[in-house]
Amino acid sequence: MILTGTKMRPPVKPSATLWALTVVVLVVIAAFLSTPYDPTKADFLNRLAPPSPQHWFGTDHLGRDIATRVLYGSVWSLGLSLCVVSIGAVIGTIVGLIAAQRGRWADMLLMRVTDSFFAFPELIAAVTIAGLFGPSTMNLVLALIVVSWMKFARLVRSLAVAVVQQDFVLQARLNGLPAHLVLWRHILPNVLPGVFVLWTNSWSRTILAISGLSFLGFGVQPPNAEWGAMLLDGKAYLHTAPHIMIFPGLAVLIAVLIINLTGDRLRDRLADEF
Amino acid sequence: MNAFLTRLGGLLAVLFGTSFITFAVTYFAPGDKALSIAQARYPGEMGFDSAVLDGIRAEFHLDRPFLSQYLHWLADFVTGDFGRSYSSQSKVWDIFTGNLAETFTLAFTALAMGLTAAFLLAGLSVWKQGSLLDRFAILLASVGAAIPSFWLSILLIMLFAAHLGWLPAYGTGRASHLVLPAVTLAFWVMSSQTRLLRSFLLEAYAQPFVETLRLRGVSEREIFFSHVLRHAMPPALTMIGLDLAGLIEGAVVVEIIFARSGLGSLLAGSVLARDLPVVVFLVMFFALTYVLINTLIDLLQIVMDPRQRAAARAEA
Amino acid sequence: MLDVSNLSVSVAGKTLLRDVSFSVGTGEMLCIVGESGAGKSTLLKGLMGMMPCRFDSFQHWPKGRSHRQGDAAVQGLPACRWVMQDPLAALNPKRSLGQSICESLYEQHLPAADQRKAALEALEAVDLSADFYDRLPKEVSLGQAQRACLARALIAEPALIIFDEPLSALDALVQKKIALRMDQLRREKTITYIVVTHDLGFAAAYADHVLLLQNGRMNTLQRRDDFFANPASPYANQLVNAAQTLGALDQMEAAR
Repeated sequence: MILTGTKMRPPVKPSATLWALTVVVLVVIAAFLSTPYDPTKADFLNRLAPPSPQHWFGTDHLGRDIATRVLYGSVWSLGLSLCVVSIGAVIGTIVGLIAAQRGRWADMLLMRVTDSFFAFPELIAAVTIAGLFGPSTMNLVLALIVVSWMKFARLVRSLAVAVVQQDFVLQARLNGLPAHLVLWRHILPNVLPGVFVLWTNSWSRTILAISGLSFLGFGVQPPNAEWGAMLLDGKAYLHTAPHIMIFPGLAVLIAVLIINLTGDRLRDRLADEF
Repeated sequence: MNAFLTRLGGLLAVLFGTSFITFAVTYFAPGDKALSIAQARYPGEMGFDSAVLDGIRAEFHLDRPFLSQYLHWLADFVTGDFGRSYSSQSKVWDIFTGNLAETFTLAFTALAMGLTAAFLLAGLSVWKQGSLLDRFAILLASVGAAIPSFWLSILLIMLFAAHLGWLPAYGTGRASHLVLPAVTLAFWVMSSQTRLLRSFLLEAYAQPFVETLRLRGVSEREIFFSHVLRHAMPPALTMIGLDLAGLIEGAVVVEIIFARSGLGSLLAGSVLARDLPVVVFLVMFFALTYVLINTLIDLLQIVMDPRQRAAARAEA
Repeated sequence: MLDVSNLSVSVAGKTLLRDVSFSVGTGEMLCIVGESGAGKSTLLKGLMGMMPCRFDSFQHWPKGRSHRQGDAAVQGLPACRWVMQDPLAALNPKRSLGQSICESLYEQHLPAADQRKAALEALEAVDLSADFYDRLPKEVSLGQAQRACLARALIAEPALIIFDEPLSALDALVQKKIALRMDQLRREKTITYIVVTHDLGFAAAYADHVLLLQNGRMNTLQRRDDFFANPASPYANQLVNAAQTLGALDQMEAAR
């Protein structure tokens, strides 16, 4: 008597969140294509203008359209943080995998090194490095990578250690699978979902860090259209033209909220899998 | 006992590593240190004799190789000699203690306010699960986690200082100067802790022992305060400890924005002025605080959670 | 086909298993029984080269390989496969059953089409339909997962399959069915089985030889009928009586 399966795989439905996300992305792209303004061109006749039909968010102290700058700023803030987190994730994953697989001494050594880096609060380390080596985008990115890879290393190590102890890894080894295939087929696929969740969480935190540090002058420098840098520009006009300070900050808030919500949904989805 | 020694050894290794990294960063920082020292010593002078600079280098061991400098510095540091600021020539320790109180006040106030708010919100939200209050609490926490604290401070400044004139925007001194910075920081504390507390409380409620207590006729109130709360404490404390780094960061940022005196502004100022002894000390201070607090929390965990106590005993 | 004399397993100075000897012929089933902690799994790990062991002689046919006394680790028995206790831990949750089964063929480096064909045949041998090939472990029942693990062992056409409590995670009805199939396959394909189990009923129904371990030592080694009719030691006697009382040995009659 041949058995047939009873539990079918549920069809994958794109969720409401995914639709919302797509809409947002499309709107942003449309905005990019349709804005008539150059984010860097100054227009001294129109300085510090409050929001109006011509300039939805108003203009800044050089007469540049804030709405356009906020749009271009998204590339800065989102793109930079994506770089930082992705590079940090790669480094951390490699370290974590080595620590989990190469024996007790390598594990202890790597984990102590990881812990040493962990002691430095992110922003303080970034302020120090960026400040000492000269505030610039590059130094900011490097500083943030240096203090963010450890989370991934720790996570990957504990996940990998748990996976390696599973019977299916033993079976693979007994079947003669070489180490690199064991890594590729068995360890990585079971470690990566966790890494992905951490990656999305870190992304939003890094956006806050980058904009915050740029606002303090330790990161992306004006006149680049990064949101934090824009807020720094506008600080002098706090009393006279408050609208400058509102929109870039709002952009950060919305971006982070969206990423957090998506990340939460993702985590719930993935949790079902386990 | 064995387990304790291993942990201690690990801790020492980490402290070593941290000090090494800190020193390395300052070592490789650009700028001629001898020049900075000379400029501070002889303010107003333009050019310096190479003999003067060499003398300074010899005095501060700046001509020695990296490892030698590191060990000298470490030896000094461990014995409490933190050097003198390049800019002001005062002892680093004095500068530090001068600013410590301000930061401590800020952090403590913010932590107290934020945790109280978090407990209230989380407690109410769990008490009346699914209600409007619950939803509101979650929303508030989500927004609070996403809002950039520097932006929030600006908004608060715009509203309360510029527009309404109730509170001063910048500076230190009177209690009113503390309000806006503390509120900004407390908001962040509240939002990050509310969600966590809420999920810990919910998890505690889902434990089988709660049902048992109910069947025994224990009141909901007692269940909540004497049992559920205690069950949720260990993980909650861990999270608070882990978030300490965030609190320190937040305090630093808030101080700089509100131009409050304190360790944060001190750090920013000395970093930009390349005042290395101060920078090194501050970074080490933050790092050590973080490591020590986390270790304490680990130990506290073991004491408080009987399961972990057993595990630790088994390890030994 | 396997002849072992005085096998001992020690780890870090502690002797976990001492002086175990047995032999089992081609196509026969040896059941290793005993209480929890008696050393049954340790013996398997020693045989598979996962734990260091020492022995007086270790003779393995048809390869005819024998190891000298004192070899620290047996180089894993060739053409041998291992079915473990928890099928869900033994299958990669991210790979389909078919992929896991084919992995057993890795060392033969067959083209993909041949591998798939062999896997489908193996699935059929364990009473699973072809659409199980693409299923993930979480989409099938425990019994089906364990059958897949059995398929993974069979596909390599091994001379010997080692089972570590293969049925204890499954419920009673499923246990009976899979046990029956296991035995049928053994006879059809002439595979030698070494089965570690704490279920005397299973041993009573299907074993040729029964090896009883107690506290890391060999207690008795008898042919099945002898073991249940005339247990060779007081301890064995206790166990057989207890099993009889619980009705576990009724299967013996049913299976014959």
